[in-house]
Amino acid sequence: MTESETTVLIRQLEDTDIGGITALDEKIGGEYRPEVWERRIGYYLRRDPEAQVVAEVDGRLAGFMLGEVRSGEFGLEEPTGWIEVMGVDPDMRGQAIGRQLAEQILHHFQSQGASSVRTLVDETMTEIAGFFDSLGFEPAPLRSFVKNL
Amino acid sequence: MNVTKTYIPKKFHQAVVKWQETYLPDFDFLLDNWDKYFPQDTQFELCAFREMGMCNEIECGDQKGKAKFQHAAEMEQQQGGHLLGALKAQASTEFGSIQQHQLTLARAQEEEEQFWILRMMAEELRHGYQMFHLLLEDDWSDVTDQSGPEMVEEILSMQTGSHILGAFNIDFDSFIDNVTFCALIDRVGKYQLSMQRISAYKPMAESMPQMLREEAFHLAAGVVPLRRWMEKAAQDSVYITTQDIQKAINKWLPRGLEMFGDERGGGTNVRYGLKPMKNAEAQEQYYQEVGKVVRDLNMRFIRARLPELSLSNAEALLEKLLADGGNSQGIFWEELVHMPHRNFFRRRGVPAFEMVGWDGEAFDDAEAYLRHLTTHLPDGYRAGRDFKDYAQMIHRVHAGELTRDEAARTMPSLRRVGGVCPCSRAVRWVAEEPDAIVSGGSV
Repeated sequence: MTESETTVLIRQLEDTDIGGITALDEKIGGEYRPEVWERRIGYYLRRDPEAQVVAEVDGRLAGFMLGEVRSGEFGLEEPTGWIEVMGVDPDMRGQAIGRQLAEQILHHFQSQGASSVRTLVDETMTEIAGFFDSLGFEPAPLRSFVKNL
Repeated sequence: MNVTKTYIPKKFHQAVVKWQETYLPDFDFLLDNWDKYFPQDTQFELCAFREMGMCNEIECGDQKGKAKFQHAAEMEQQQGGHLLGALKAQASTEFGSIQQHQLTLARAQEEEEQFWILRMMAEELRHGYQMFHLLLEDDWSDVTDQSGPEMVEEILSMQTGSHILGAFNIDFDSFIDNVTFCALIDRVGKYQLSMQRISAYKPMAESMPQMLREEAFHLAAGVVPLRRWMEKAAQDSVYITTQDIQKAINKWLPRGLEMFGDERGGGTNVRYGLKPMKNAEAQEQYYQEVGKVVRDLNMRFIRARLPELSLSNAEALLEKLLADGGNSQGIFWEELVHMPHRNFFRRRGVPAFEMVGWDGEAFDDAEAYLRHLTTHLPDGYRAGRDFKDYAQMIHRVHAGELTRDEAARTMPSLRRVGGVCPCSRAVRWVAEEPDAIVSGGSV
């Protein structure tokens, strides 16, 4: 657990954060999706609880970052950290909350033996792409394909 | 992360497997269906894990900064005695909870929730196994006359009613207990494991990280179904009401608070470097955390009942209902769940047998207090042995036959005439045969 000068507390995700993450997701995306987060947080807590991090400001959830280390995905045999979902309270952006969350999760991925970390970002989300760019992420040659069924 | 994996000697390993076959008969069913509910998750294995590379120096207490102990024999005798007591209590809780969960596991309405509980039970078995690993790997002869095999036999022979901590001596009455127990009692477990993570006894500290990882899911296995039930209750489901959930909270929260030990104690463990917090401090944090869970459940209820409300309006409505009582926008205060007063229905610690009501009100008449309790506790529970024992004790304290402290020191007595395995009392779990190591390795 670490505490920065701006009183941002970065800590491990807990079951008691389901409500806070649901609320943050609603604030960002405009949709209330409790079932999605109950299932998803249940998944991450049983897979690797130490990889999941949240940011708290004045006792209120201000951001979260969830992911895990996997091997064998898309032919990537080496252990790879995957950042799969994240969110930062729009009212609290600019306080390096995302960066602090990333530092924590990357540190954990490294301790799990991952030599690289990957994520997928929608091309229309330039702000998020810029965020990962600022962390030193580079475009990967692996392309994403999709087909509607 | 550097984790070693080990097994206890064969005859003890087999004793645990035999115990599992009796008290966790669905274990094979869990493994057969593992991939259906937990795809990609490493399959469960009965073994002990130790985290390497943890702090080598004692982190609190009188010996702070000195090297941690690798063996009980290096510790002061009283220090070792305290540690052994905690270790045995921890082992007892792990096996005890499986016996409780098994009673009502089959009553789950949702298969997914049932499998979550089943996985949690298997992991509790591993946690008990982990404690046996600590009991058997070291020489405890400086602090106890009991041998390792005797300690294992004693713990495996315990049943609901003879476990060390009160919360593990209470029968489950419905699947609501399985879920509420995970949300409230496993939460105490999280606190205890977190505190023991800094133990001056290094093998104990090294045992905690993997147990804590697994415990995080155990809490979710309680909280997620509770949240779903709050939604159902808000939609007037015939299967669950918030009153059912409230009564289960009332049944378990007092026992959870007592698991921290007497509010005046815990200083010795801190001085010995075994835990970083005294009992009252940890208990207070726990009470606040459960309060957060309860608030979250209420938000789930309000959003489900009034989906047209925005988040901020739902929060405002909850604040209004909690502050004013009564009802607003069609929701009554009574439809929400609330925290019982921390001194409600206590039998251990400072408020033991004080006759404090659910809302903190004081009672001076035992019969009136018991009637008050019956309105706040689940029907199945108040018709059971544990509540009857409590009622008898309240009468004896009120009549002056016992002091509150004397009553608090009595063990609950759950006389068994059957249970999961009627013959298990006569069983010796550890079979006498030459010791052998199953195998060893690291992950």
